[in-house]
Amino acid sequence: MKYSICVLFVAALLFSACLPGPTSSVGNRTITVYAFSIMKESLERDIYPAFQEKWRQQHGEEVTFNSSFAGSETITNQILQGAPADFAILSIELDVQRLIHAGHVPEDWWVTAQRGIINRTPFVILVRRGNPLGITDFADLAKPGVRVIHPDPVSSGGAQWSILSIYGSELKKSEAANGARDEAKALETLRAVWKNVISTPGSAREARTQFETGYGDALITYELEGMLMKQAGALIDVIVPTSTIFSEHPGVVVERNISAEEREVVYAFRNFLWSDEAQKAFVRNNFRSSTNESFDAANAGFVKIEMPFTIHYFGGWEKAYPDVIDGIFRQQVKDNR
Amino acid sequence: MSANLSRLRHTHGFDIVKPLSVAVLLLMMLPLILLPLASIFIFGMSAGIDKFWDSLTAPDAIFALKLSFVTSFWATVFNLVFGLFAAYVLARYQFWGRNAIIVLISIPTAIPTAVAGFALLLLWGPYGLLGQYLPDDYRIMFTPYAIILANIFVTFPLAFGVIMPVLETMDRSLEEASATIGASRWQTFWHVTMPALRGAIVGGALLTFARSVGEFGSTILVSGNLSGRTQTAPLYIFAKFNEGQVEAANAVAIVLAVFSFVIFSILFFARDWLEAD
Repeated sequence: MKYSICVLFVAALLFSACLPGPTSSVGNRTITVYAFSIMKESLERDIYPAFQEKWRQQHGEEVTFNSSFAGSETITNQILQGAPADFAILSIELDVQRLIHAGHVPEDWWVTAQRGIINRTPFVILVRRGNPLGITDFADLAKPGVRVIHPDPVSSGGAQWSILSIYGSELKKSEAANGARDEAKALETLRAVWKNVISTPGSAREARTQFETGYGDALITYELEGMLMKQAGALIDVIVPTSTIFSEHPGVVVERNISAEEREVVYAFRNFLWSDEAQKAFVRNNFRSSTNESFDAANAGFVKIEMPFTIHYFGGWEKAYPDVIDGIFRQQVKDNR
Repeated sequence: MSANLSRLRHTHGFDIVKPLSVAVLLLMMLPLILLPLASIFIFGMSAGIDKFWDSLTAPDAIFALKLSFVTSFWATVFNLVFGLFAAYVLARYQFWGRNAIIVLISIPTAIPTAVAGFALLLLWGPYGLLGQYLPDDYRIMFTPYAIILANIFVTFPLAFGVIMPVLETMDRSLEEASATIGASRWQTFWHVTMPALRGAIVGGALLTFARSVGEFGSTILVSGNLSGRTQTAPLYIFAKFNEGQVEAANAVAIVLAVFSFVIFSILFFARDWLEAD
């Protein structure tokens, strides 16, 4: 009995020493970044080290980054519940609106030359190597027997981009052909594609992992994901739709969580994201630049899109969300399966 | 007929049902438990032992394992003390509402762990019922302490559930004898009751610890999932799987699988050893 108490006591001592206490930062800066799923590689490989180096040279201090990656809606919800993010990189601007609404982010967050957008990437379709089902555009995903993997718009920003991309591409094409946006055709295509969706994972990254394990025939996702998969040797082909959307990703300082002394380094980090150095790093990591399109020439893997469009084609997120995601998708597509 | 058959089976002192039933048992376990476990080992090792070792010694992986073990340890200490106390009170005293308390203690068993995490957030989160009154320096959520709280909640009934039946069925004549020769309640508890509970205490502790180490649903909500700070081993596995780094996920998964094997082996042998004592 006495022996076992001694063991327990020693174990308690050992374990209490291990418990990480509140992190004190003397002469040391810490930035906690919550970012949507596909930001991981570019931040960890290039952006963090470059900023750390820059800050070290300018201020002689070490900057430590802590980060968490998940679907855009998920991290937004976590921050709304109080997760200690200093800086958030979200997939859709609507999530920023939610943060503003709860008082986490100031309303004028976008007053920069780039309107708060740090990088962009178009939406493409990934299929199995050799394209056995002959898919050339979004409409082909509606063919009987095609099994589509599509992230869940409840938790994933990428999923909402994808819906806008399918719907908008039909508008864009009909407008180019007859001068008028054919909303009925766009709705029909979106509905038909959605009938073939066999799985709705929580984030673009989860969707990719599922596709990589051999599930499904096609995946609608960011161009960057296709490029990363090809680099990793996955047996896939990238199909470029005739018309598709460029997703644009906002980076915001979570004002509510940062103290006065943290302010300088967090804003320096935000501004660094728009520096040529960071933008070129994004291009190296398969994002397209939001400041200077000529940087994109450095990456030979980028595909050419015939009829690209952005959220402004719908009149911005403040119209696209209620009109398309809520009005069209939620009310006329999802519930009508 | 059946009499004939049973005689037949036992001819030459050999019971054919024994090896047959063991084989059926193993066959049932094969697709349900053994093959899934085997595939973790196969995929974890498929990239070679060097890659496995590199994945395992990555700083974030080591941190995640350490954090899981430390937070689980403290949850176990708390739930063991609580479980012992609760079992003692509820087994020794009859009072109005006793059954209600037993039911309350058992509730976490059936609650989805994500709900447990969410409940803690709603209470202790920065905008939670009580959490909003906490000073900034004492925020609990999104720190390792939140993980301990979540583990405590989820494993609350386990140690109690193991200790309580032993205490209830214990022969009380020894305790009574101890009392009649002038031992205080405390002496009786310490020298008579506790030794009889050793097996149950070790069992309850290991069960609580093992369950805590594997906890995922509540932890992902309350921890903030920051790698190298609040990311436990199961969260690390999930994150790596989502990044498509299946080897890294498997390396840590193998550690957890081996760990639970060791825990339950100890449980098995320690019980015999402690009870023979």
